[in-house]
Amino acid sequence: MDFAQQLVNGLTLGSLYALIAVGYTVVYGIIQLINFAHGEIFMVGAFGALSTALLFFRSYVDGGQMLPFWALPVMIIGAVAASVTIAVLMERIAYRPLRNAPRLAPLITAIGISVFLQEAVRLLYGKIPSFPDAKQKVPFPKIAIVSGDAWTPFGLTIQRSTIFTVGALIICAAGLFYFVSRTKTGRAMQAVSQDPDTARLMGINVDRIIVVAFVIGATLAAIAGIAQGLQVTNVNFKMGFLAGLKAFTAAVLGGIGNVWGAVLGGLTLGIVEAMAIQFIPGTFGGSSWKDVWAFAILILVLVFRPQGLLGAKVVDRA
Amino acid sequence: MSTTTLPEVLDTSELSRRDQMRARYGTLAPLLAIGGGVLLLLSGLLSWSYDDRILGDISIRFFPAGIQIYAMVIGVVAIALGALLRVRPAWLNPGRGLAAVGWGSMVFVVVALVTISRQAGGSVNINEGGWVALLGALLVFAAGWVARRFELDVRSWPRLPGWAEILIIVVMMAVLLFTTAYTLGLDDSWTFVCLLVALLTIAVALVGSGFGEYIGFVGANNRRVLLLSALLVAFLFPFTQDGSDANMSIATQILIFAATALGLNIVVGLAGLLDLGYIAFLGTGAYVGAMLSQSTFATIGWKPPFIIVMLCGMAVASTFGLIIGSPTLRVSGDYLAIVTLGFGEIFRLAMFNLDGTNGPDLTNGPNGIPAIPDLNFFGFDFGKVHTVAGIPLGRFSNYYFLLLLLIAFVILVFSRLNDSRIGRGWVAIREDERAAEAMGVNVFGLKLLAFAVGAALAGLAGTIKAHQDTSVTPDQYIFLESAFLLAAVVLGGMGTVAGVLVGATILKLLPRSCVTRPTTGCCSSGCSSSS
Repeated sequence: MDFAQQLVNGLTLGSLYALIAVGYTVVYGIIQLINFAHGEIFMVGAFGALSTALLFFRSYVDGGQMLPFWALPVMIIGAVAASVTIAVLMERIAYRPLRNAPRLAPLITAIGISVFLQEAVRLLYGKIPSFPDAKQKVPFPKIAIVSGDAWTPFGLTIQRSTIFTVGALIICAAGLFYFVSRTKTGRAMQAVSQDPDTARLMGINVDRIIVVAFVIGATLAAIAGIAQGLQVTNVNFKMGFLAGLKAFTAAVLGGIGNVWGAVLGGLTLGIVEAMAIQFIPGTFGGSSWKDVWAFAILILVLVFRPQGLLGAKVVDRA
Repeated sequence: MSTTTLPEVLDTSELSRRDQMRARYGTLAPLLAIGGGVLLLLSGLLSWSYDDRILGDISIRFFPAGIQIYAMVIGVVAIALGALLRVRPAWLNPGRGLAAVGWGSMVFVVVALVTISRQAGGSVNINEGGWVALLGALLVFAAGWVARRFELDVRSWPRLPGWAEILIIVVMMAVLLFTTAYTLGLDDSWTFVCLLVALLTIAVALVGSGFGEYIGFVGANNRRVLLLSALLVAFLFPFTQDGSDANMSIATQILIFAATALGLNIVVGLAGLLDLGYIAFLGTGAYVGAMLSQSTFATIGWKPPFIIVMLCGMAVASTFGLIIGSPTLRVSGDYLAIVTLGFGEIFRLAMFNLDGTNGPDLTNGPNGIPAIPDLNFFGFDFGKVHTVAGIPLGRFSNYYFLLLLLIAFVILVFSRLNDSRIGRGWVAIREDERAAEAMGVNVFGLKLLAFAVGAALAGLAGTIKAHQDTSVTPDQYIFLESAFLLAAVVLGGMGTVAGVLVGATILKLLPRSCVTRPTTGCCSSGCSSSS
């Protein structure tokens, strides 16, 4: 029973990682950039959803009531809008001018953007009239049907937000599969990731494809942001850092550049983490060491199977 | 040589409008510059404001203070450049310098006047001196606008006798020391901003007009003198602080940061291995220093003398470097960056967790190891105030001297390695790993050595940091610190010593100056990172 329960917990965690990891892997697959600020896009998505709730459903939030279920799609739209806007601006302002710069420059820029976004939310969010101060944790609104009492089939505890997170991953993965393999833009994306120069010669607008990659990543990250908000019932400006790092681990675990690898890697990492909490004996088990085990897995994978589980091609660039 | 002769290009129709203007009015530039400079000089003697409470006291005539002195210095520079424009030595380009002074003096005067009107309540409070300065700045600006530009002829640098070149370096260093001490001593935030504008103006003017290159040339001729005088200036700095620990505490922070950045520079700058978890090695050293210290909270019973502790810190840190390095050096580029980042996080989390309940008790978890006593070398107590030549030197000054020795050691290691076969090997690996391997460079061994040496230097710095901060906690070694170290290395220039020192200084000093000056108290970030 412990095992099944941890499997559920691991799947929840893993779905969240997977949703974020797709953003890393799509961008890396196309321009070989570790978009370090992607975790912050996830955070901005969560805050976008929160802002939408505060703007349109203020009376529910102030009254401490659950938001009606139809608030969920509105909040998703708000979250996606916020994340996509920031991601596109980030690509345009910070990454595009550095497309041909030495490898170190975009990476450091990405770290800079990450810090910038965190501090911007921390300092400025509370300055918007009638918005709560974001220097500490901000409670995330509850929504009818997706928040509420857990279900307990067969003695397991399944939170409703778990269903939402796993469901969101399934829907997003299906949508992504359709987009990448069936639409013209999706195929252009594959072409650019294989060979940008040839793709350009074939008449593909590479700049546009790169923006599309950022938009896809930001959309999934925004949905992950809502899922995280529903799961832990609060958001804070620091939530993106560790989640982003874990998601990157997941992307590498699955084979960076490979979308299915990101999904598989995310789920694997989540399950391993949950199992480590339960089954590692002695003082090194338990939740305080789970992050250490996650990073240890990252290092082991990189050392023994750098191409990841699904074995995308390894880009060997210094 | 005179500039009153006709310009070389008589047919002005093909020139841009700007160049036409320069050709036509260029001869006026020296006059304008000298006129504007004299006005700026004069304005320093006049009263700038009716209000004697703002920006120091600038209301008294014939008694320049604060920003009036800066205006006078800018005026002197403008006059000198104007005169040089007239004389026109071939190795200088005073026109570009004048343009910089023009822009800078405009910004300076405008900032000063706006501050006066805002703080004293309206522009009526500006006295005649302010307006004279504005007029002077406008004239200098016009001079910079029309002044002709010349091609530099660097072969015609004047060769002065050796003692004169050394004198130039010594004077320059003395000015540097005096300016730094003066800048740090300011307590009025807007005077500080005005001073920064003035200093920036003069620096850009000197570099723009070609003095910078000449000084570089003189420095290259007398490298030993330059190095020694730089060390001497750094050594003399605490004596300018009059026993105050406020600036010395920042200075020690900068030195530790710079020493660590220099260690990272070996890994990133020379060997080209991107390390995003480097702060963990500083943390390793600090924790070793704390655990083996005399602190009652230290978790290990062994309390050896500090020399042994330093060696232990280096050994443990470089062992960690080898442990993290040997498997991960098989991956390259971005992957290495992420693995080292993961290692840095593991270090922080492990220090956080090793508190006795989640694992063996080594670090007291989030509380860290407090109450680390000050160092004591042969009866020289680092915690006490020592008086040298009548000048009291506080606790941080003592650590400052020790850290200066550390920096000198790090620079020595860095430059000796860089000039050796090992350094050549690192650079070869950085430039092209496969080619280096084909040429017989031991790529794996050298990469490991880079990791180990870099980690050892950081560990050494860490042992001192533990004593200087008096406590070690896990939250001092977050990822952001690694990112800052990397930024210092990249900002200053990878693989250089002076650049990294400058980069580290700027990165540590700038946020503090901007944050702590306006609010006279201690800012939140300043308190948490200093002891």
